[in-house]
Amino acid sequence: MNMRFGMWLSGHLLVPRGESKYARLRLVRSAALIAIVMIPLVLALIFMDGMMNGITDKYILLQDGHIQLQVADQLFDSQFAASSIDPRIASADYVVSGYGIVYSRDTTSEVRIKGVDLSYFNDQRMSQLEFSGDPLKKEGSLAAVMLSTTIAQKLGVEVGQRVAFMVVPDSSSSVVRPVLANVTALYESGYHELDSSLLFMNRDDALRYFPKDRNAYTELLVFRDHVDDLGDVVASLESTLDKNFPYATWDEFNGTVYQNFITSRQVILLVFVMILLVAGVYVSSIAQEMIQDSMQSIALFKTLGATNSNLSWAYFCSVMVVTSIGMVAGVALGLLIGSQIGVLLHWLGNSGLAGLQYYLLDFQIVISWRDILAISLAMLLISSVTVRLSLGRIRKISPLEMLQQD
Amino acid sequence: MTRELLRFHAVTKTFASGQSQLVILEDLDFVLYSGTTVAITGKSGSGKSTLLNIAGGLDKPSAGSISFLGRELGALNDKELSAFRNRHIGFVFQSHILLDDFTALENVCVPALIRGVRQSDAVKRAKELLDRVGLSDRLQHRPQKLSGGERQRVAICRALVNAPDLIIADEPTGSLDEESSSGIEILLTDIVREEGKTLLMVTHDTQLASRCSTVYLLHNRTLQEMA
Repeated sequence: MNMRFGMWLSGHLLVPRGESKYARLRLVRSAALIAIVMIPLVLALIFMDGMMNGITDKYILLQDGHIQLQVADQLFDSQFAASSIDPRIASADYVVSGYGIVYSRDTTSEVRIKGVDLSYFNDQRMSQLEFSGDPLKKEGSLAAVMLSTTIAQKLGVEVGQRVAFMVVPDSSSSVVRPVLANVTALYESGYHELDSSLLFMNRDDALRYFPKDRNAYTELLVFRDHVDDLGDVVASLESTLDKNFPYATWDEFNGTVYQNFITSRQVILLVFVMILLVAGVYVSSIAQEMIQDSMQSIALFKTLGATNSNLSWAYFCSVMVVTSIGMVAGVALGLLIGSQIGVLLHWLGNSGLAGLQYYLLDFQIVISWRDILAISLAMLLISSVTVRLSLGRIRKISPLEMLQQD
Repeated sequence: MTRELLRFHAVTKTFASGQSQLVILEDLDFVLYSGTTVAITGKSGSGKSTLLNIAGGLDKPSAGSISFLGRELGALNDKELSAFRNRHIGFVFQSHILLDDFTALENVCVPALIRGVRQSDAVKRAKELLDRVGLSDRLQHRPQKLSGGERQRVAICRALVNAPDLIIADEPTGSLDEESSSGIEILLTDIVREEGKTLLMVTHDTQLASRCSTVYLLHNRTLQEMA
């Protein structure tokens, strides 16, 4: 194959001159359309990954931790005692958890009550919420609770007011216990689904209402780099402390949420592939148009000695360069718009779009370069196959017939 | 010293015409020697262009064989035929087919680039040829900006750029006015002689035919040498 001629012709096809205004416009239009396909794919990827990571972080940091060691007694004196055993552990908190119904004067709300110490709100967790008031500060004998602003608004209560609880009994207790509590603070995690059901209570108070042997456990957070080593972390603790701990990891006790994320991601990636297939068909039509418009030139090139492979290579390179330019532009624009996705979501949220209450409006942008590369490679691969199929037409162009038509 | 360049041996060419076969060339024997200029004349539809197409490796005979420098063209595959056309044949068509989006210089360079010649060398050779035909001031002009005669001169340069053994010209002055025709006739035959090439040309133009060393009449599907 004469690459030199192929590259030379490809250069001409990519930068058509003379009267070829339509050819120039077609190339620009083609690159623009490919970019338009890539932008939403990159945006969807950023949104999906950022949102899933954001929601996962909310659940892990505020609701369940990475690992729950199902041991009723407090295992560690301080939050950081476990870190000295295994440096992969960021914190270990002794917590009590149960369910209840909160009453205000006007309405009720079913909640998950989480009894924690003030140290529970370390830097990692504070990155996930904002609060007003003095969280869990005890005044008198009443329990101190921190409601979410979502629950507070629903109940119509503010900091400093009181709410009543009905602690839902577990199977070991037949007594329904009404409780009064002071609202000492309000928090906002930014995730409506979590905020609408999670309530924090002073741990000592919670221990009074929920039996320790059924409701208390130690909640471990590990550093982000070690979220795939949860089993190893527990094994390391068991080995050092010479004990066996029944435990569950976050994806086990949030199985539905976790599976939903996995399934959503797979479905979205499948949709991506379908979109890329359609884009591939479009890219092949670019090749078809280019060939259709230059059949006489191709016939002449063949007459002058160009082989099918010379010509196919030139057209293939041209179409793939246009595809690559469109793809790179689309990815760049997608990343640019994606970096401002928070602004976009806030704007949509402020416009009253109801469905957004199930999403985070503020989350850290996560760019999965691996997935973007995979999408780009898939686009190139699919396009190269469809273009190769289209280029079969070059083989069918007979110099003789075309020259006789002239 | 002349040598045998092209030989037609018992060449027959037929085309399907409905249920029957239309015989265009029948049992045709013909030898072309290097360095000669040969004109073929004949009535329209007598098969002159078909003969040229077969000679140039663009078409295949229905029967018989063609050898070029002793090599059977029928034994070549598509790729080898392409290389054969590129290296050994220069085409000049009636309608001076040029690439509209390319300049005169680029049009002339194309066969050389297909051959794999470096672009700078191809440009140098093309400039020399265009200069010889008086188009040194038209290098960057596209075909639309050239007159019919100028376009045909570009086509002649394109045919010569790879220094092929044989120039095949199919009625090269057929679409030109009288004045342009005269110039092209002189140019084509002179430049072919100067380059030491062989010319096989189909023409209705008796004046152009008279400039060739041998003239054949294609009549009744065979060639007859004319005095």
